[in-house]
Amino acid sequence: MDTVLTSLGFGIVTASILLPAAVGFTLQFSATGVLNIAFGAQMTFAAYIAYICTQIGFGIWWAVALAGLFGAASSALLNRFVLTPFMRRGTNFFGMVVVTIALALLIEYLVEVIWGPLPVSYPMTSSSAWHLGPMSFTRSQLIVIGISVVFAVATHTLLRYTRMGKAIRAVADNRDLARSSGISAQRMTDIAWLLSGLMGGAAGVMLGISLSSVSYTMGDAFLIEIIAAAILGGVGQVYGAMLGALVIGVLLEESAIVLGGAYAPISAFALLILVLLIRPTGIMAGAAKTKGIA
Amino acid sequence: MAYYVLTLCVYVVVATIACWGLNLQFGETGVLNFAYIIFVAAGAYTASILTLGHPTSSGYQQYFWGAHLPWPLPWLAAGVVGGLLGLVVGALVLRRLRGDYQAMVLLVVAIMGAYMVSAAPGFLNGGIGLSDIPSPFRSMLHTSQVGYEVFYLGLSLVAALIIFEVMRRINASPLGRVLRAVRENEAAAEAVGHNVATTKLLVMVVGGAAAAIAGAIEVQFISAWAPASWTYTETFGLFAAVIVGGRGNLLGVTVGAVLVQGLFLEGTVLFPSIGNPELIGAVQWISLALLILIFLWFRPQGVIPERRRRFGNLARGSRA
Repeated sequence: MDTVLTSLGFGIVTASILLPAAVGFTLQFSATGVLNIAFGAQMTFAAYIAYICTQIGFGIWWAVALAGLFGAASSALLNRFVLTPFMRRGTNFFGMVVVTIALALLIEYLVEVIWGPLPVSYPMTSSSAWHLGPMSFTRSQLIVIGISVVFAVATHTLLRYTRMGKAIRAVADNRDLARSSGISAQRMTDIAWLLSGLMGGAAGVMLGISLSSVSYTMGDAFLIEIIAAAILGGVGQVYGAMLGALVIGVLLEESAIVLGGAYAPISAFALLILVLLIRPTGIMAGAAKTKGIA
Repeated sequence: MAYYVLTLCVYVVVATIACWGLNLQFGETGVLNFAYIIFVAAGAYTASILTLGHPTSSGYQQYFWGAHLPWPLPWLAAGVVGGLLGLVVGALVLRRLRGDYQAMVLLVVAIMGAYMVSAAPGFLNGGIGLSDIPSPFRSMLHTSQVGYEVFYLGLSLVAALIIFEVMRRINASPLGRVLRAVRENEAAAEAVGHNVATTKLLVMVVGGAAAAIAGAIEVQFISAWAPASWTYTETFGLFAAVIVGGRGNLLGVTVGAVLVQGLFLEGTVLFPSIGNPELIGAVQWISLALLILIFLWFRPQGVIPERRRRFGNLARGSRA
């Protein structure tokens, strides 16, 4: 029983990294309709930017912020200069998926060319653990959890209580209707990419902190867990993604203890398939609508 | 040199067969099967265990079951397994899920396939993979290495010709028109009475079988197969070939497979190495990604575009 609770602690940390990533991924997807396979690679790139920041003397938490900003900027630029032009040329949904896959390969291997195939790690000072029953957290893990909570609350506040958030939701719901009500869909698209880049960038560094190393394949491997969390919650459902992140994060760590590490991703996958068979649109599908995608 | 060129030729034939299957799914029907490489892997594993013989407990590799079957049974069995896998994956993914979910779940399936094989060492020898897989008629033919490679190239070309004919007939038949109708407009195809889900399931089965046969041909040639040989990124190499060549056009796809898979991915070994040899793989993938982007931007229809079909007075354009 104790080991189960101990790994619950790890699960909460993993979920805390998954949460901003899954929310960013799903928010951008619902607002823009582009399935961004390059998301994981963008996370990796941001994690390496944070590495550079720590090398030139910034503290690790400054590096998280800077990497988040870098992620936001690069994601918005990528949208403006690559994805939107492709959309304007009439590339369809599946074509756009192939474009983002190409970008994923491009970014991932660019990282390998720039920083080499060997992993790097952030300079972290070890600190005493903080105990909560059988769970124990290091200081950096607590900060990771804290950042995640801040992201969750901020996303909720933004979408629920601000004009901009309402506009993003309107665009996600019905782009044409939103535009005819005077919302600039292009601007909301830019903002959605900005937000997803910010959350992805920060999550990338948090992942690097948690794994205590950063490698060029890191984000790409993590993308599967992000997608699993997003699908579980119902694609495009921000609160669903939060719940999905929590479920997948805890499940990954619990099954690593119960079944052994090699089976951890498989159990997440089995849960995903099971959920899809029972509820093909995810657990939070109440408000989900079929978007015109083909 | 002759040895190297022959090896390259076999690789290209294998890639071409795989690309035809992918073209049937992606080019003709519009099914974005990101898990395509696991069908190639399923065929390769099937052919491996059907030629390796029964596993012995003292053997250096562990797998769950095996047999010694003569050629061409391992290749045919691979096709059957690929088709069945297509049925299972298709029934799981295609029938109930929306298009965007399908693409994502298939990507997850591809990665999980490799995880599962690696996690269970007793199933197909885990992450180390199977090796020493026999080649057909190897002991019977007393030829040199190059002579045998010529023979094997011939065998694979026979398989390729049969699969080409199957694909060509599907393309030209009324069924081919249904596939293109599903690709162009699912709702309209449904409305005129075609069963979209069954059609997609059918191309999953046929395309999966082609992929598996490609895998079987490859594995009996290179005689080893491990999860590292079928990472999900390999699927994108095949997608690149189909896009560059011209989706929906069999000849175009063939050209694409030769260009991308032959010259681009395998043929780079022929050219003098530039810079750090460790980075060749990375540079290859970067150029492949750029190639896909350039083609999707400047020539989304590919080198040899799908031909416009004319039916009497009605000219129906092929919108790519």
